[in-house]
Amino acid sequence: MSQYYDIDDIIAEDELVPAVFQVSANGVGLFDSSDETNKVEQGSKVELPFWLARELHLRQAVSINLPHCFNQKTREELAADAAHVDLRNRCPYFYELGRKLFTLVGDKTIGTLLLAAFQTRYREVLIKAQTAALAVAPKFLTLLTKEETKLYEAAQSSMVAFKKWRMGGPRFQKASVLGRKRRPFE
Amino acid sequence: MESGSGEGSMMDDYESLISTTDAELLKRSWRNEKAAPEILQFELSLVQRSTEQIQLMEETVEESMASGVDPLTVSLYQMDLDRTQFLLRSYIRIRLQKIEKYMAHIHKTTELWNRLSKQEQKYAQRCIEDLKEHFEKSVLSKLPDRYKSSLKQSVISEEDDMVPEPQLDTYVICRAKRSLGAFQLDDSAEENPVSLDAGDPYAIRYKSIKSLVYSGQIDLV
Amino acid sequence: MYAKKACELVKEFSSSEPGQLAPFNTNLFSQVIEECNFHFHQLQSLLSKIQEGPDSQTKNADHFGALIHHLSLVRNKRCLMAYVHNRAEVIRSLGWMIEPPLPEEIQEKLSSSEKEYSKNQSATIKSYQSEMDLDLAVDMVPPKDPYIKVRVLDDIGSVALSDQIANLARHAILFLRRTDAETYISQGLMEELTD
Repeated sequence: MSQYYDIDDIIAEDELVPAVFQVSANGVGLFDSSDETNKVEQGSKVELPFWLARELHLRQAVSINLPHCFNQKTREELAADAAHVDLRNRCPYFYELGRKLFTLVGDKTIGTLLLAAFQTRYREVLIKAQTAALAVAPKFLTLLTKEETKLYEAAQSSMVAFKKWRMGGPRFQKASVLGRKRRPFE
Repeated sequence: MESGSGEGSMMDDYESLISTTDAELLKRSWRNEKAAPEILQFELSLVQRSTEQIQLMEETVEESMASGVDPLTVSLYQMDLDRTQFLLRSYIRIRLQKIEKYMAHIHKTTELWNRLSKQEQKYAQRCIEDLKEHFEKSVLSKLPDRYKSSLKQSVISEEDDMVPEPQLDTYVICRAKRSLGAFQLDDSAEENPVSLDAGDPYAIRYKSIKSLVYSGQIDLV
Repeated sequence: MYAKKACELVKEFSSSEPGQLAPFNTNLFSQVIEECNFHFHQLQSLLSKIQEGPDSQTKNADHFGALIHHLSLVRNKRCLMAYVHNRAEVIRSLGWMIEPPLPEEIQEKLSSSEKEYSKNQSATIKSYQSEMDLDLAVDMVPPKDPYIKVRVLDDIGSVALSDQIANLARHAILFLRRTDAETYISQGLMEELTD
């Protein structure tokens, strides 16, 4: 797995996915620790983190459904005005999770949904990153997924770098880890 | 070498002359190394020549300063020297940092391992040992048996499923020195061949053009 | 839910600013290690139940229980390793930016193994540099002018630079060779002035 150490990949796989157990499993108290029976019955409906749902699905132990962020309502909202849907609130790893689910369940509509949403929102992210006054930006930022936030920051920092290059200025700086306070000498 | 396509061959000659100076070669290797996701072949003789060149330039600057040559001229020498030194240092730093990032992958892939210089191999070896020791102490020694490997998630894993690898299907910006004609980008013949014209920048998946990078027909930007 | 704490550990790393380190979370870290051992214990007992019992009725359910514990253990391990690995990456990048030893304020955020790792890593870089006879700590930014104008921020004293012996007193403004000034600037002892 080339992404074994990837922080975002790990966090994305923690997103919950609705699943139904097709088998029983002994010796596991998945739902909460106070569960006395310590057993999951066949037919139990649970929300499992993706990392577990995937492996169990591959072994036909659970069937999985799409999480809320891919339901009809979100799809309609995205179709209507993709740029202003609060995706972070629904799933900060919308695209990553979508891609993973797509390969797992083979729902082709997810692919088109992701692409359409990203295309519209990407444009908006770039425009906002280069033009928005600082006062407007924070509100817009709260709608973005993790990936989109990174794009926004990248676009903004390249804008800053461009301005700096045009205006000139100090090129050498203190190592950023050393913090702002001046290091006492001696 | 192929000759230019008729018109402006004087220009071509000049360009090809310029593009074969060591300074230009070093700049090209530095750019390629910077943009390529994987580690490229170490340019041994180029690095050796550049190192000698730097020594020579240092001597020239010192002599000129001592013998009272016009300070402007000296400062031009100095700037040239500075640029070469920067390129060399940066080239080596980029490589070492790539080695740090993909040490285990490079170590077990003979083709990649052979791209390193002797010193880099030693460096990689030490990096691997340093990190392994750190992993052992912090995590692995505390985990149950059968889960203690730093390469495999557990003994059940058939392959080394913990080793980070560079993503070769990432997009790079590249530019061909000469027209390369129609080029098949994908192994699957689904996509139409793309014609790579001289001097035009293209954004292409690295893995489709990496052989052109190896052979020096295309430069990464 | 299993492996929740492990993911918290990873999220904690993710929420710190890129390139910066938060203190090593020893407490949470050892809780996750404990969880690993818990899963292993459960796994073992289910496995031995499978081997002993001829009763094929529950065998399947035992098998899937064991599978879930195995998967949880592997997940926990991934989070622990990623936490250590990504912190190690930051530590390495520090090694490239500042001359060892690391300042106290960073040292105290490291675990004991991380401190040792940082030391070993700087030694590894050092040994490569001396073998190549090349200083890699300078020239981090492409050069423009051989000399730059700097203001000294601390009383550094009289120092032999590559081309002169200079008295680096606080507030002094002078022209220095770029490569000489670079180290001082990255340590926060000088700042570059531009017109």
